[in-house]
Amino acid sequence: MNSTSVLLTSMSVQMKQTFARNMFKFTLFVGPFLITVILGEMFKHSTADNFVAYVVLGSGLWNLWNCIAFSSAGDINRERYNNTLSIIFSAPADFRLILLGKILGNTLLALCSFFLSVFFATVFYRHPIIVTNWPLLIMSLLLAILAFIIMSIFIAYLLTLSRKTAIYMNCLEIPVALICGFVFPIENLPQGVQFISWIFPPTWAVRLIRLSVTETTYGLLENFVPLIITSVIFVILATLLYRIIFKQVKVLGTLDMA
Amino acid sequence: MPIIEVKDLSRDYVINEGVFKKKMKVIHAVKNISFSVEKGEVFGLLGQNGAGKTTTIKMLITMLAPTSGTCKVLGYDTFGQERMIRTRINFVFGGEYGLYRRLSARDNLKYFANLYKLPKGTRDNRIDELLKLVDLTDRADTRVETFSKGMTQRVQIARGLINNPEVLFMDEPTIGLDPVGAETLRKTIVDVNKLGTTVLLTTHNMYEADELCNRIAIIKEGEIITLDTPANIKKKLAKKTSFTIEVEGNSANIKDKMQSMEELSGVSITEKDVMTLEDAYLQLVKGSNEK
Repeated sequence: MNSTSVLLTSMSVQMKQTFARNMFKFTLFVGPFLITVILGEMFKHSTADNFVAYVVLGSGLWNLWNCIAFSSAGDINRERYNNTLSIIFSAPADFRLILLGKILGNTLLALCSFFLSVFFATVFYRHPIIVTNWPLLIMSLLLAILAFIIMSIFIAYLLTLSRKTAIYMNCLEIPVALICGFVFPIENLPQGVQFISWIFPPTWAVRLIRLSVTETTYGLLENFVPLIITSVIFVILATLLYRIIFKQVKVLGTLDMA
Repeated sequence: MPIIEVKDLSRDYVINEGVFKKKMKVIHAVKNISFSVEKGEVFGLLGQNGAGKTTTIKMLITMLAPTSGTCKVLGYDTFGQERMIRTRINFVFGGEYGLYRRLSARDNLKYFANLYKLPKGTRDNRIDELLKLVDLTDRADTRVETFSKGMTQRVQIARGLINNPEVLFMDEPTIGLDPVGAETLRKTIVDVNKLGTTVLLTTHNMYEADELCNRIAIIKEGEIITLDTPANIKKKLAKKTSFTIEVEGNSANIKDKMQSMEELSGVSITEKDVMTLEDAYLQLVKGSNEK
């Protein structure tokens, strides 16, 4: 009962705090429009033929990634500067639950940006939305969200441990979106980079989403299994990482700016 | 058994110096300090900026690991047995940070009440009580970012008391407050202590330490240079004593009358320390600098 309460109030506090920030409002409302237009124009001048896969869902996923992972991770640093990180870390409630609540709060807000992207893409480009397998689309979208959440937790733990991670996080936002194939298929990337793509769960979730809007279900299992395996690996890594950070933040003294 | 027990406690920080060519440097923030605090005491840690007061408090509230030595609160180790301690203590840091500034005072308190596992039935009453205690009932639903420094600090105090802690740690709680705000806060600390809460506070304000603390430890460059009651610290260092003379009845021409000892019947003389705690502190700190 108390765990649920910690989770829900952390979600609520996160949403109230985040929504009050102008930068997040920009990411939430203006970002979808800009990214949709950029991807729409790229699509017009490309040889790709699946508008839904590369523009509608591409921009939606990119915005989802921006809002969930980027903001969740950035919020850790904001909490550090506001001296609330050390307070929530030293509270009796489980820090993992607090962090999960914050990421879930951002996820709920981020879904707005996803639907806005879909809305802009359909309204501005007036392209018919063809989905051949709705159940697969819904399931793979949920799995993609789960993959983003898992990655966000992992990044948030790293950020709790080190003040410098924020710098790397800023550098990772766009590369991860490209490497995971939000914008174009990862097959267009050099072979060496593709190996890196396979490490990230969102890569497989994106491929599953694409399958749901094409007329083939070939490769369903080939993408579903790696998605589960990579997600489980990230969950295990995050669990191990938490054990390390729980002690190390106190040894290194990185919870606040003092 | 002491409620806080610190023995040979040390804490080092490793910092990087330089921009291009980085060099690691070890800072010894706290060096082998030992002290204990009994239940119901108000214990003060005094020292200059960078003396090691905040680092000591952070180790006591399970936020920081000691480099060596032992640090126990309520009989439990603050590094390794955090879970046994955290529900029973709380802390307040001075300054405007440590709250969600875009939330109202009430929302902040609600959130921290949840993090401190307060039952839902008692939570709302506790929040109302605390808002009344810190005189913020009228502004309870206003965003903290619109508050003055003093009001923000009062919300921090309410947050620190949310779980009715057995031990309250306060790091420079009156920093930046105006005299009236500081006085109100000192009164709150006295009230909280009367209800049985043990208080450990750090401060730069000697008057505050003198007024509030049963015992004081003065820290300099990570080491405790003296530990005693404020009265004893002053007494040890005092070199002269002044007297207050109260005169009963008609005091006319008393100056002339006092010249003759026979005229002093009916006059009571009260001994009073001429040295303030601030004088004693400065003498101690400057004295050890000269050594």
